[in-house]
Order: sequence, then structure tokens, then C-alpha cells
Amino acid sequence: MTAPPAILPTASPVDEMPDTFRWSLEAYERLVELGVLTTCDPVELVGGEIVTMSPQYSPHAAGVVIGTQVLGKAIDDSHHVRAQVPLALVPDSEPEPDLVVVTGTPRDFVAAHPRSAVLIIEVAESSLRYDRRIKGSLYARAGIPDYWIENLGAGVLEVYRNPVPDPTARFGFSYSEMRTLGKEERIMPLAFPSVSIRVGDLLP
Amino acid sequence: MTAPPIETTVVPKSDDLGTQRSTPNGLVPLRDEVVRFRWTRERYEQIVEHGILGEDDHVELLAGEIFSVSPQNSPHAAAMLILVRLLQALIGPGFHVRPQLPLSLDEDSMPEPDIAIVSGAAEDYWYTHPTTAVLIIEIAESSLASDRRRKGSIYARAGIEDYWIFNLVNFRLEVYRQPAEDADSPTGYAYEQRTVYGAGDTVAPLAFPDGVVAVRDLQPKTPPQRRKRGKRA
Repeated sequence: MTAPPAILPTASPVDEMPDTFRWSLEAYERLVELGVLTTCDPVELVGGEIVTMSPQYSPHAAGVVIGTQVLGKAIDDSHHVRAQVPLALVPDSEPEPDLVVVTGTPRDFVAAHPRSAVLIIEVAESSLRYDRRIKGSLYARAGIPDYWIENLGAGVLEVYRNPVPDPTARFGFSYSEMRTLGKEERIMPLAFPSVSIRVGDLLP
Repeated sequence: MTAPPIETTVVPKSDDLGTQRSTPNGLVPLRDEVVRFRWTRERYEQIVEHGILGEDDHVELLAGEIFSVSPQNSPHAAAMLILVRLLQALIGPGFHVRPQLPLSLDEDSMPEPDIAIVSGAAEDYWYTHPTTAVLIIEIAESSLASDRRRKGSIYARAGIEDYWIFNLVNFRLEVYRQPAEDADSPTGYAYEQRTVYGAGDTVAPLAFPDGVVAVRDLQPKTPPQRRKRGKRA
């Protein structure tokens, strides 16, 4: 890696914070359980707010499928890859990250969604700002050690590490280390340091 | 399709997404694709029916979004009861006063105004909430800005002819009339006429032109007690 680490710019939360009702994780899951929200509703719960995801353009979808394959080959049997399914983050969030690497097997999460991950990747086109500032802060608060954003517009991989308290961030936490990698550079996931992935093989 | 050449070590200095995306159909404008989920009144009613929210979560639906209704302090409660008493005395037999009860407005709102004067009697609304009112009053302290802008816009869109805000900060009565289209407001509608009344003034509801509400009556009769500092009360 040749790029020097950069400090992530954080936004003032005040102008972005709406005063709408905040859902707890439990109440949101009841909405899903009781069929008030269904699989026809492409929604996530982020910081107590229910947000809508747009239908995917093909580069985004390809990014998810490619990422599933590449990560699947990179990780060991004590972990597995999950694509666009819920991750339960107490007390008030249930995002559906594009790619998540979780400790355990799929059967470990039949009764309940996973509550943590060793790596999260979001494939970002026009959701870039949201993925950096809002999801970045959310995942940092949850202590996710390794958070990557595939910045499709710029054709680069943004790698965020070392979550720390940050009063200026939306959820009070952010990543203090950030690197941007181009297609010919390689990234080693923190949980699998002997694995080296070429960024160009990961990006769609 | 070949990718355009790019710098390999780009540090994001801003969240500038560029303004366009390249697609097989040419360049299309980018827009922020993450938006808050919008509730219809029908879906929102399922939340209420299922009892998903607890007793501490008093909410209302305003233009597709859910907001908390704050617990009332004593000035708010007193002002509301005084207004209920005054209005019950001046409305005719064909109307009744509803305090903090739901109104089904349009497809995406279910506010609970502090006071609504509605035609008919309570018995008429066993099976559905009222869908309009001849007068709505909100009593506002910390909610003043949103009562003016967000609720004002929703009530204007619903065609509520007479909307009052009793301002607990300065004990003035703001009267909003003539709902009309307004591109700058959240729902595209707003009140064109706004008049503010003070302690010496009286106001008659549009629906009851002979009725009189004296703003002076909407105030405490005695000033608040002050605690003596440094001494036991």
C-alpha cells in the first residue's frame, strides 16, 4: 500500500439530524415479524430511522456478486460471507450491508441475525456520502474493526479502520484511519492477514 | 466498454459525487439514493392496531413520517383545558371539541392536534376518525417552529380553513387562514394569511363568527411563584 493514511473528514451532525421518531431494534423487528414491513419493502434501520434503498444498477449488483466470490475464496471455514442480509446492531439499527464476513456458519444465525462482523463492505455509487458518514459512524459505533467502501465512481477502494469516539460524528464514533487504494494495490483483511486481495479483482 | 483513466490514490476531500453517471443510455444525473421510508396512513394504522409501540411512545404521522408527541407540562395542559372550556361554550350543537385525538388527513397524515372542532357528535366517529375539522389549535412552546411550518403545511394541504397556534412563550395567538399552494412549503401548501393577537384582542372562529375568544383568558391569573434563593421554602 502506498497511499498515506488520511483522517476521515466528519460532518456536523446538527444539520443532518432529523427530529423524527426513532425506532428501537426490538420494535423494528416486530414490524417485520407482524408483516407491517415485508420483503417488498427494501428498507434498513439505521440509527433508529427506517430508510429506503433504491433498486440496484448493474455495477452495484455485480459488485455484490463478485465480492461474494472473492471473499468466499479468501476466508477460512470458521467464517462465512453474507450478502445484503440484516445485521442487528443494538440498540437501534438493522442495516443490510452489501457484504459482511461473520464468525461462524450460516446455521448459527437461523434463530437470530448476527450482531457483529469482522469485515463489512458497502458497494457505493450515489450512496457514497451516506456510506461514509452515516454508515461509517454506525459501523464504528458497533466496533466493526474493518470497513471498506467500494467507490465505484472513482474506481477505488476506501479502507476504514480503528473505530474511536468522535462527538462530531452522527453516532458518536468514527474511523480514525482511512486509506484509498487503486486497482493495482492489494488489501489484507484484518481478520485474515495472510490473505491479499487485489483491489481490481474485488471492484466490478 | 473501457474504463476511463483514473488516479490510483485519491483521498476524498469532499463528498462530491460528480453530477452524472454514465449508463448505456448516456449520462444521467446522480441523486442521493438513500431516503427515509414514507408511511402511508393505512400502514401506520397497522402499527397502532398491532400495538407495536409502547405506552411511552406517543406518536403522530405527519406527511408520511412519524414524530413523537412530547409529554405535556402544566402550562400546556392548563391552556388546553381552558381552550376546551371556552370553545365548548361557543360552538353550536352540530359540533364537538376533540382534545389531542387523531385526525385522518389525506393519505399520509394522522396528526393529533391539541384541539380540533369537528362537525357532528362523538358518536359519529366510532368506526373512523374524522377526516377534517372546522378549526384546529396547537399549543406550542418548544414545538413552535414545526407547528408553524410542518403542521401548518399539512393542515393547509388538507384544506383546514382555520388554524391557530397558541404560543406559550409569549401568550400570543397566531391565526392562519386562506390555505393555498406554496412551492416553498414541505407539502406544497401553506396559509397565506397570518395574524397575531395579543392580550387585549378577541378572535372569532371562522365557523362561529359570533363566538368570542379573548386572548387574555388564555393566561395564568397569577404570575409564577419564585423560590427564595438561599432560604428554605
